[in-house]
Amino acid sequence: MATHALELKHIKKSWGAVQVIHGIDLAIEEGEFVVFVGPSGCGKSTLLRLIAGLDDPTSGDILLQDKRVNNVPASERGLSMVFQSYALYPHMSVRSNLSFGLENLRMAKEEIDRRVNDAAKLLQIEMLLDRRPGQLSGGQRQRVAIGRAIVREPQIFLFDEPLSNLDAELRLQMRVEIANLHAELGNTMIYVTHDQVEAMTMANRIVVLRGGRIEQVGKPLDLYNRPVNKFVAGFLGAPQMNFLAGKIAPDGKLTMDCGLQMPVQLGETLVETMPCTLGLRPETIGVSLEGAGDMVVKVQNFEQLGAVTYIYTAFPNGETLTVQLAQQIPLKRGQEIGVTFDPERFHIFAGEGERALELKGRALA
Amino acid sequence: MSIAALASLIIGILWIGGGTWWLLARRQYRLAQIPNFAMDLIGFPVELAQSLFGRRGVPYALLLPNMLIFGFFTFLPMILNFYVSFTGGSSIALFDRPWVGGANYGAIFECESYFDPRTCSNEGFSFWKGMGNTLIFVAVQVPILCVAALATALVVNKNIVGRGFWRAMFFYPVMLSPVVIANIWNWVLHRKGILNETLGNASDGITALAGMTGFDIAATVTFGILLMLASERAIRANADPSLPWTAVFAALFLAVFSWASPLRMVGFEALSSFWLGLVLVAGLLWFVATGHPRARWAIIGFGILSIVLLLSIQFDSVFDFGRFRPINWLVTPNTNWPFFWLVFVFCWSHMGFYMLILLAGLQAIPRDLYEAAKMDATKPARAFYRITLPLVMPTLTVVLVLSLIRSFQIFDEVWLLTGGGPGRETFMIVQHIYETAFTGDNPAYGEAAAGSVLMAVVIAIFTFFQLFITRRQSEL
Amino acid sequence: MGIATFLTRTRGSADKAERIGAADVMAYCYLALGVFIILVPVLWTFFSSVKPERAVDSFDTRLLPYAQVETDVPGEGDKTTWIYTDDNGNETVVFKAGPTRKETDVAPIDDPTNVFKVPRTQLAPNEEIRIATENYLDPILKRNGQTNFTFFTYLFNSVFVTVMATLITLLINAMAAFALSKYRFRGRLTFTILIVATLLIPSSIILVSLFFVVWSFGIFGSLWGVIIPAAATPTGVFLLRQYMLTIPDELLEAARMDAASEWRIFWRIVLPLSLPALSVLAILSVIWRWNDFLWPLIVLISDPSAHTLQIGLTTFSGEFDSDFHYILAMTVVSLIPITLVFVWLQRFITTGIATSGLK
Repeated sequence: MATHALELKHIKKSWGAVQVIHGIDLAIEEGEFVVFVGPSGCGKSTLLRLIAGLDDPTSGDILLQDKRVNNVPASERGLSMVFQSYALYPHMSVRSNLSFGLENLRMAKEEIDRRVNDAAKLLQIEMLLDRRPGQLSGGQRQRVAIGRAIVREPQIFLFDEPLSNLDAELRLQMRVEIANLHAELGNTMIYVTHDQVEAMTMANRIVVLRGGRIEQVGKPLDLYNRPVNKFVAGFLGAPQMNFLAGKIAPDGKLTMDCGLQMPVQLGETLVETMPCTLGLRPETIGVSLEGAGDMVVKVQNFEQLGAVTYIYTAFPNGETLTVQLAQQIPLKRGQEIGVTFDPERFHIFAGEGERALELKGRALA
Repeated sequence: MSIAALASLIIGILWIGGGTWWLLARRQYRLAQIPNFAMDLIGFPVELAQSLFGRRGVPYALLLPNMLIFGFFTFLPMILNFYVSFTGGSSIALFDRPWVGGANYGAIFECESYFDPRTCSNEGFSFWKGMGNTLIFVAVQVPILCVAALATALVVNKNIVGRGFWRAMFFYPVMLSPVVIANIWNWVLHRKGILNETLGNASDGITALAGMTGFDIAATVTFGILLMLASERAIRANADPSLPWTAVFAALFLAVFSWASPLRMVGFEALSSFWLGLVLVAGLLWFVATGHPRARWAIIGFGILSIVLLLSIQFDSVFDFGRFRPINWLVTPNTNWPFFWLVFVFCWSHMGFYMLILLAGLQAIPRDLYEAAKMDATKPARAFYRITLPLVMPTLTVVLVLSLIRSFQIFDEVWLLTGGGPGRETFMIVQHIYETAFTGDNPAYGEAAAGSVLMAVVIAIFTFFQLFITRRQSEL
Repeated sequence: MGIATFLTRTRGSADKAERIGAADVMAYCYLALGVFIILVPVLWTFFSSVKPERAVDSFDTRLLPYAQVETDVPGEGDKTTWIYTDDNGNETVVFKAGPTRKETDVAPIDDPTNVFKVPRTQLAPNEEIRIATENYLDPILKRNGQTNFTFFTYLFNSVFVTVMATLITLLINAMAAFALSKYRFRGRLTFTILIVATLLIPSSIILVSLFFVVWSFGIFGSLWGVIIPAAATPTGVFLLRQYMLTIPDELLEAARMDAASEWRIFWRIVLPLSLPALSVLAILSVIWRWNDFLWPLIVLISDPSAHTLQIGLTTFSGEFDSDFHYILAMTVVSLIPITLVFVWLQRFITTGIATSGLK
């Protein structure tokens, strides 16, 4: 059996009578950047804290380098963590914040200085070393928090929503920096966020969680292109995937509530006609200003961003459809336009858990 | 060598020796880290608990010293109190003390009439006298203390210059020790002290002034003008009479009323006029404060009444107090002056603390509530009753309970100022316990313990009763 | 801005300033009266304490310390001097050459042999302003037979009790508060309720049995008998617990990730961060211990070398009921340290206690 950087075996966690993690199995390889993503309350932070050793799992095993570490205290697991609030010690200088953990490990003074200076140089916080956390800006605090994790030279970095306290611009910048850091250090990193953009941009692999269960694990684009169920499909991608209600017959004939009727080639056999949801990525929909196409919709609102145009439209039955165009077109509110669909890029969700049905000849991206 | 010394020696050796060995075996310290080492050594038992039992052992280790002291020096005495109260004799060794059953309680309850302590046994007299005095003291002290503290807090909370200075001044006596306070007030209240001197001078001065020709006319005119000014100010406001000016008017009215002393004509003492005047004035202020529609007419009525009274006054006879005789404030029996000064000095020395608590409560009330009230044209008095008082009620409850428990235990000030005298006029319950147990040649620990148990019962009843009442009030 | 505007504006910027109304006048009158009542006795005691023995004993109510001038008259020794005003208004400095009668024998100090009779009513004490430092120095330096007030012993005992008790209180209360605020463990509620219970037990009702316990521990009569029983204060535990609840758990977790032991977390992270609450408790503890009276009176009364300043002052006042000048001076001496602390830290103390609430 190959050595995994981290392996979770059937982890469960309850707070009293409430079970928040329902049995999770996951293996993370050396050097991976794994992002746990999901809506709030999905258990992603709890999972991270279980890995860190800050909480103990109710059952299941946590293995680091194939060694069971359930009973190893947090401080001895060789991990380091960047907290959402940064958790910088407010009464210590930046330098002390970085060196505190190393001092606890009874490291030689020269080694501590070397590591602190290296980390400071890497993160460009050398001139801040003698300040207190209270005197730093949000982005600087973020760097110090990362620096505190770096100096430990941990096996695995754990990030608990580290960017959620930053403004949009800084968030973008730090996102890039963390990704660069991963490229530079090559350590295993586990990153928790509720922001799917962060997940898509930074991860080698994404773990989508819901209600304490893993919904899907995979490379970002795999998840985007082949979501296993409606939840994953809806969670990843902005603007969100369009969902239309309707029915699908065993022969692949789609009959949607909005009036759309289209055949698709099913890759599996259905027993009977069943209710389904049709998922349409906004960028897969074509537009014709003349009203030609598969359906006619009414423009309710639109946003012209220059490079792209978002059109928010509605079917006569009230279901809405968002269209993303990579071009600029003249539009008016209330205008009727034609939309065309590409059956090869349909996602059809049906049955238990609204899982994705297999389709033949589906085009990627 | 006592057991405690032996035990602390053994613990000390284990702690310091064992801790040093344990820490040095696991950690390295550089020379510069000696303070770190010292702190780690102090916390050695906690470190040990963590390494033995993991993180779940730590809180127990952290709680241990505190709970040991609570256990030995609060809970154990609490239980022991019951045991001691059933034993007699004057032995300090617990197991040497003969069991006497309820005899100690019996001695306290051995009374012909519970309303007259003089009919009790010696023990009973001391206890019931102390308990009675303490109850009177609490009943007088707590309301005065709370009202004074609340009034001061309200004033200090106003938008005034030098708020920090005033706050600090009112708090300063809290810092002083009872001995210092007692010495200061002993000196001020001495028979030949500054207070008697000042009062004597003031009394002489007023008498001399009143003897001057034409003084009565001048005083009558001055008073008349002042009264007119105040009443005019009070009712000039368009909508409702202004409360502060009404208060000024009320103070002047009270002065005139008690000097004119209309009740003397029907044969009452001079002082009863003052009390009647106080009641009238309080009624007037209540009228104005609540914004009663007839408040304006009430002020006008009071104004007319005060002019009639003023005309009836013969100033020169009123101002002649006779020669002021210095009073021995803390010693003269049957005057209630010692009791008065106890209440005064207690208030003087403790008010600042409760004021600070109330001030914090007042400052926690959001400013915008008052701004909203202002927008609604709420009168200040109404804002006080409907906003300030309900919102400061939780803090006031805390202050009530704290001051009640504190007043109940009054000892230092009494012991040092009056020693319980004159006679037993200011003899309090804690002094009873202290003297029974610790001052006599033949200490009666059992009887003192029985007294403590009964005192605890009274305090408990009081506290719960008070909590109950205030909770009912705040629900309204 | 006109002077009138300046004098009548209240706090705040000039634009927003309101004119002083009747309510403000009354408020200032109230404050002035209150401060008058608070300060005058203290100041009067201070001014009295620097007056010479004779002025104190005769209850001289003048503010400044007047002392009658004593001069060394040749052949007569030290004599108190008087001023004789004759019928023409001429003043002569004289001393009394005989007993005081209606007509008293006096002689001018520069001519001691020239004795003549003057009416008593024409004699006035020849006075100078002199600060009577002997009131302070005699008991402190044990001069003039004042050996009973061992000031430095009392001071040392008081300081020792105050400092040790405060340090112990801070340490163990902070430890308990840390356990109660930052750990989930079996029995947490029980411990919390136990501590609330101690909050409701007034110290004076356990006086007698506490005496038994302290005696059994063998610390009766020693300073430790005063320090230990009151070291664990429920108020302190609560005050600190409330404060520590506001320290984010993430900080402790970060420290745990940094391989700090729980004790290290306590004293490297939690203690420094609780400094505001700790200093409030420290101030409260200093006030309590320094002013503590009844319990030290019971424990320490029999051993004069263990008296604290308060007990020492009490017994001193008791022994010298008439030597008011010494009593006043020593009262001022024991009032000075706490006054200095207060003047130095008053803003901090008042805001600190106000924001932390309970006693």
